[in-house]
Amino acid sequence: MGDAAQIQFDTIPSFLGVPVGDLEDLVPGQVAIAGYFCDNLSRPAAEQRYLARQLRYASGHGKAPANAIDLGDVNVFPLEPDKHFSAVVSQCVAVLETGARLVLVGGDSSGLKALGTAARQVTGADVPVIEVTGGIAGNLPNVQPVILSVDLQELAANWVSHPHRLAGLSPAQMAAQIVATPGNVIAAAIYGLAPALDNRGSTEVRAALAILREVSDRLEKGAG
Amino acid sequence: MISAQKQMITNGYAGLPFGKVSQCDAGSVGLLGVPSEVDSGPRYGASLAPDALRKMTGQLGTSLPVNGRDLGNLDLSGDWLGVLMQLVTQMADRDVVPVVLGGASDVASAVLAAFPDRPVVAAMPLARRDLIERPSNTTWVGLNGEQPADVWDQISQRMMDWRTARQLDEVQANTLDVPERAVLWIDLSVIDLGHAAGAVGLNPGGMKPETLVSVIGAMSCSWHAIVITGLAPALDTRGMSELAAIETLNAALRHG
Repeated sequence: MGDAAQIQFDTIPSFLGVPVGDLEDLVPGQVAIAGYFCDNLSRPAAEQRYLARQLRYASGHGKAPANAIDLGDVNVFPLEPDKHFSAVVSQCVAVLETGARLVLVGGDSSGLKALGTAARQVTGADVPVIEVTGGIAGNLPNVQPVILSVDLQELAANWVSHPHRLAGLSPAQMAAQIVATPGNVIAAAIYGLAPALDNRGSTEVRAALAILREVSDRLEKGAG
Repeated sequence: MISAQKQMITNGYAGLPFGKVSQCDAGSVGLLGVPSEVDSGPRYGASLAPDALRKMTGQLGTSLPVNGRDLGNLDLSGDWLGVLMQLVTQMADRDVVPVVLGGASDVASAVLAAFPDRPVVAAMPLARRDLIERPSNTTWVGLNGEQPADVWDQISQRMMDWRTARQLDEVQANTLDVPERAVLWIDLSVIDLGHAAGAVGLNPGGMKPETLVSVIGAMSCSWHAIVITGLAPALDTRGMSELAAIETLNAALRHG
C-alpha cells in the first residue's frame, strides 16, 4: 500500500482537520465542534443531517484551528422527540460546563433550540440567539453570553444546489456577519443545508466549510 | 398515508384550496394551470410547469399575499383556447384576478385575446408582433438586442416604454412607465440561461432572476390578469427557474 493510501486510511476525517477528542479532553475556552444528525424535528428537510459528514470529508485542506476539537457526534433519538431533546440538552450542558464553547454542525434548527436550553441551564439566564442575518444585534455588552445561529438557508441561490430563495447572503457576507457578532459567543449552530453530492454540492459544502471556520474563529475569540 | 402527503394532494398552488370560479371572492385570485406544450424547437417541457410549480410551492411552504382558489389544470381537449378565454373573462367579470400558469405562449395569446383593449406589461426577450399591434401600448421588460429593425421602429413610433435585460440588471428598474392596470405576461425565457436554464427559449443575454423579481415588484400596477409561460422545469435540475417564477408571481401580487 502506498503512502498516500496509508494516510487516507489512517486519518479519521474531522471538522477543519482538528484533533478528535472527547468530553474529558476539553479545557475552558476551547472550541468543541460536534455533528448533529437530526433533520426531522424542526423545519424538517431530509438530508440536512448529512452536512456534518460532508464537512468532515471536505476538511482536508487548510490550517486547522489551534484551539478546536472534533467531539464526534451528539447522540440523537430522532423518532423519540422528548427523549431526543433531553439527551441533546444534557450533552450540550456537559460540554458548556467544562468552559468550552460548542458548535453544533448540521441537521435542522432543533439543535439550536437544545443549545438555548442548555445555555440557560449553565448560565442561569436566557441566552440571546443572534441570527447570522443580523437580527437583534444592537448594543450587547461584550460579556453578554450569546448563541450564534447560522442558518445556511440564508445563503443566496447562486451558492446552493437546491435553492429555497433567490435573494440571500454570499458566504463572504455571512462570514462578515459572523465576525461582527456582538457579545460573548458561547455556542453556535450551523444548520439548514442538505448537501448535494454533485458539482453544485461541492460548491455549497466548500461555502459551508468556510463558514464553519469563521464560526470556529469567532468562538475562539469569545467576547467580541 | 402521512399528513405531508395528504397536504400535497388537497392543497393547490402555494397552499390555495382547490375550487371553482364561482367560489372565488372578489379581489382574490383564481389560479389556473394550462399545460400546453411547445410545438417546435428542441427545448420542451412547458406542459410540466403548472404541476411542478404547485409541488415546489408545497416544498418551500410558499404562501401568496392574497387569497384565492386553485382551479386545477385546464383540460386541453377540444376548443381549450376558447374555454380559457371564457374562464378568464368570467373571473375578470367577478373582479377575480386570473393567474394562468402555462404552458407555452399560446396560453398567453388566449389570455390577451380576452382583454383585447388592455395594456400589457411583457417580460420577454423578443418583442412579439401580435403585442406590438394591439391598440394599447405594451411595456417591454428584458428585451435583448436581437429584435428586427422594423420591430424597433414600431416600438419607437408607438412610443412604447422598454428596457433591455442589461439596462435592468445594471440600473434601478423603477423608472419604467407602467399603466395603472395592465395584463402581465412573463415569459420565463426572459431570464438569462446561465442563471436559470429551465425555459423553452435560450437566452444568453437575459435578466438575472432576482432582477426580474425586483422589477416586477417595483411596479405600482394592478393586474387584470397574470400569465406565466415558457417554464420548462425539467431543464433546470436546481429549480432556479421555478423559484424565479414563484417569487416573481408573489412580487406581482403584492401590489394587486
